[in-house]
Amino acid sequence: MAKVRKPFPWRTVFSYLILIVGVIVAVLPFMWMVSSSLMTQAEVSLGRIVPDEPQPQNYTEAWNRANFGRFMWNSTRITVITIVGLLLFCIPAAYAFARMRFVGRNVLFAIMLTTLMIPDIVTLIPNFLTIIWLGRFSATICGEACAWYNNWPALTVPFMASAFSIFLLRQFFAQIPDELWDAARIDGAGHLRFMVQIVLPLSRAPVMTVITFAFIGSWNSLLWPLLVTQSDDWRPVAAGLTKFVNSDAPGDFHLQMAASVIMIVPILIMYFFTQKQFTEGIATSGLKG
Amino acid sequence: MAALPRDWFDSRQGRVLLENLTAYLFIFPAGAIIFIFGLFPVAFAFFVSLYRWRRFPDEYLGLENYYKALGNFGYILFFFTALAVLVYAAILFYQLVKRVRGGMWLYILPGIVNAAAAALFVDWFFKLLPYVLDVPRRMPRGQTRDRALFVDEFFNSFKFEGVPDAGYRLLFGLVAGVVLSLACLWLVRSRDRVEVLLRITVTVLLVIGGAWLMRLTLNEMDETIQLAEDAGESLPIWTQIIFIGLGAILLFVAYAVWTRAVRQDEDRRFVFWGLAALLLMAGGYLLIVYFPQSITAIDNDLEQGFWVTILYVIGTVPVQLGLGLGLAYLLFHTQRGKTMFRIIYFLPYITPFAATAVVFSTMFSNRNNSPANYMLKFFGIDSQKWLLEPTPVNELIFKRDLPQLLEGPGLALVVIMIWSIWTYIGYDTVIFMAGLGNIPPEYYEAARIDGASTWSLFRHITLPLLSPTTFFLSLIAIIGTFQAFTQMWIMRRPAAYDAVDTVGVYLFETVSTKAEYGYGSAMAFVLFATILMITFFQNRILSRRVFYG
Repeated sequence: MAKVRKPFPWRTVFSYLILIVGVIVAVLPFMWMVSSSLMTQAEVSLGRIVPDEPQPQNYTEAWNRANFGRFMWNSTRITVITIVGLLLFCIPAAYAFARMRFVGRNVLFAIMLTTLMIPDIVTLIPNFLTIIWLGRFSATICGEACAWYNNWPALTVPFMASAFSIFLLRQFFAQIPDELWDAARIDGAGHLRFMVQIVLPLSRAPVMTVITFAFIGSWNSLLWPLLVTQSDDWRPVAAGLTKFVNSDAPGDFHLQMAASVIMIVPILIMYFFTQKQFTEGIATSGLKG
Repeated sequence: MAALPRDWFDSRQGRVLLENLTAYLFIFPAGAIIFIFGLFPVAFAFFVSLYRWRRFPDEYLGLENYYKALGNFGYILFFFTALAVLVYAAILFYQLVKRVRGGMWLYILPGIVNAAAAALFVDWFFKLLPYVLDVPRRMPRGQTRDRALFVDEFFNSFKFEGVPDAGYRLLFGLVAGVVLSLACLWLVRSRDRVEVLLRITVTVLLVIGGAWLMRLTLNEMDETIQLAEDAGESLPIWTQIIFIGLGAILLFVAYAVWTRAVRQDEDRRFVFWGLAALLLMAGGYLLIVYFPQSITAIDNDLEQGFWVTILYVIGTVPVQLGLGLGLAYLLFHTQRGKTMFRIIYFLPYITPFAATAVVFSTMFSNRNNSPANYMLKFFGIDSQKWLLEPTPVNELIFKRDLPQLLEGPGLALVVIMIWSIWTYIGYDTVIFMAGLGNIPPEYYEAARIDGASTWSLFRHITLPLLSPTTFFLSLIAIIGTFQAFTQMWIMRRPAAYDAVDTVGVYLFETVSTKAEYGYGSAMAFVLFATILMITFFQNRILSRRVFYG
């Protein structure tokens, strides 16, 4: 840690003052969100700052009117499927790139990393067409349950492998000392076994980072789900909230706020449990990426 | 397992083969997904952009979608892209010749055949693709769920006109390529022969691609010019190409002279600066005259979208980076509560847009007593309509009409800017903090012994050593903001559509409501080209100022 000249007290006070202003700016919208979610509609319209009497029933009303039970369940399903697939596919790939020697390793890795530079907007249309076609194909081959459009595969499969996650995991796997691998090999373990029994238990931090990123990503996603779904059967909570705000309860600000609070609670819980790995993951990957 | 010759797998060759196979098996699932949804779409998008395409592929249009989007400049863009590809291939070839010296000719033939095989594959694939995509439409009505019919039609796609021929050509090319490559690798005994062969192949492939693109562009251009002449008008595309190219070259030379001027001694520096300024003005003049002329037929909505996007980038990126750096610097030098501050600053970044949008749209609502208007009242200003207000801010402030360059973003866009700055500051702060942590403390100690002030510590140690981080963040931020559309899409209100619709929003609208996939893809490519160009120049110009420890 850099220890600059011990600052005069007024300087410390001044910098804390600015930092606290920053905190207020960052937190104020959240505070206001919570406080107006507890007001009556009239109180929000009058521009009150705190409710006279908290109205916790707003939450149940918002939950029911926005049909949040459905959307929360959808988002949970989507998130879980995405994360399981992500771990299942990305960990072996990252392991191979980090610890195995094969023809074309560097070329393949470089090609994979170039996908990070392609803007989402370019891939949006072709991916939509691909999804439509793949969906028709699989629905014809194995029935309605395998449809892609308006079903879980369209929402999860494209996100089950990301160059970013593979990169993050690879950086960590590559740091694991070779002695461990030598020892494991002497004991007769192959790559699969070494990966599952030695590497994975050592890599809890990067795996948590990847999970958190995927969780936040799929909880936030809005446009892609809107494009590839038609009904509420599989629409995630972000789409549900947007629909509630725009068409179901346009004037009921207190209910909108309550619904927003409901939506961000799972993310906040996830974040507070993993914030250390998460910020570190962002910092290191950001710098090296 | 007993049947397998275990001994062989224990031999060196066997182990290597096994390791290779296992590795490919490990990579395959993730690789397939990344390829299908990350890489292939780029080629697919370009293919789609050459067609009229609504749900299913329709008529082949060539570059007409680009003409529709940009006017003449569509052709000009393609001309220069093709030229750039060819020039880049020439540079690669020159580097290779310099590196290999003797025996280059041994590589050239297999290289050409390999590249031809790759090109034949692309040709075959994109001849086949429309028929495969058309399978559902060729099915008899009411039979869409018949499995056997579907499979039949799928395999029928391979037999349509032109597809088998392309397939045979591809097969021949592949066999010839493999044979020649093996022969080449057998004849040449240099250590890097595989790499050289790969590079040659890529270079030739670039030449083929560039030549194809150039032919396409020239043909299309001729057709358009012919059409215009038949209608009694003239299309000065060639003049525009020549003068825009000249203008760009002059600007480039001006930049080169400028960088040289900095290295001269006092007397000569003046002359060089004068020369650079002169070239700059000449190049700028050509661009200013001919560039607007070439885009007179631009799609007006797209033009508006670009204008909004540029305002949005200029309005958010510097502010966001500046504030992020400031907070990170202060936070880095405090002793207590670092983690707590960091957690809190990061909150907006992880919160879904859909949720914070609700708060910000309520805070900036047009009601008289919304928080934002309440603030204004406190300062004695009339309340505003915020998200419903398309009028540019400077016109609101000065209360009169201004030329477009001065009028600034619409008030609705300003609200979205505030919202996205609020969202991303935490991210920038965290990464700046990590960057600050990488600066060795010895530098500060040494400078302090020399009596440097806090400001000069910041100016001469922190800023230069932090420049890789700053460069990275600005790159990410510009790429991200240029394609911004989620924020606008959530916050746009009918009254202010014009003020907040970025290129991304317009594109999404074109696709989702009008179902014009071909035109949408063309716009996506134009946006992609813009982003690439900006990253390229940023790399060229800024990375010289980046100081890596």
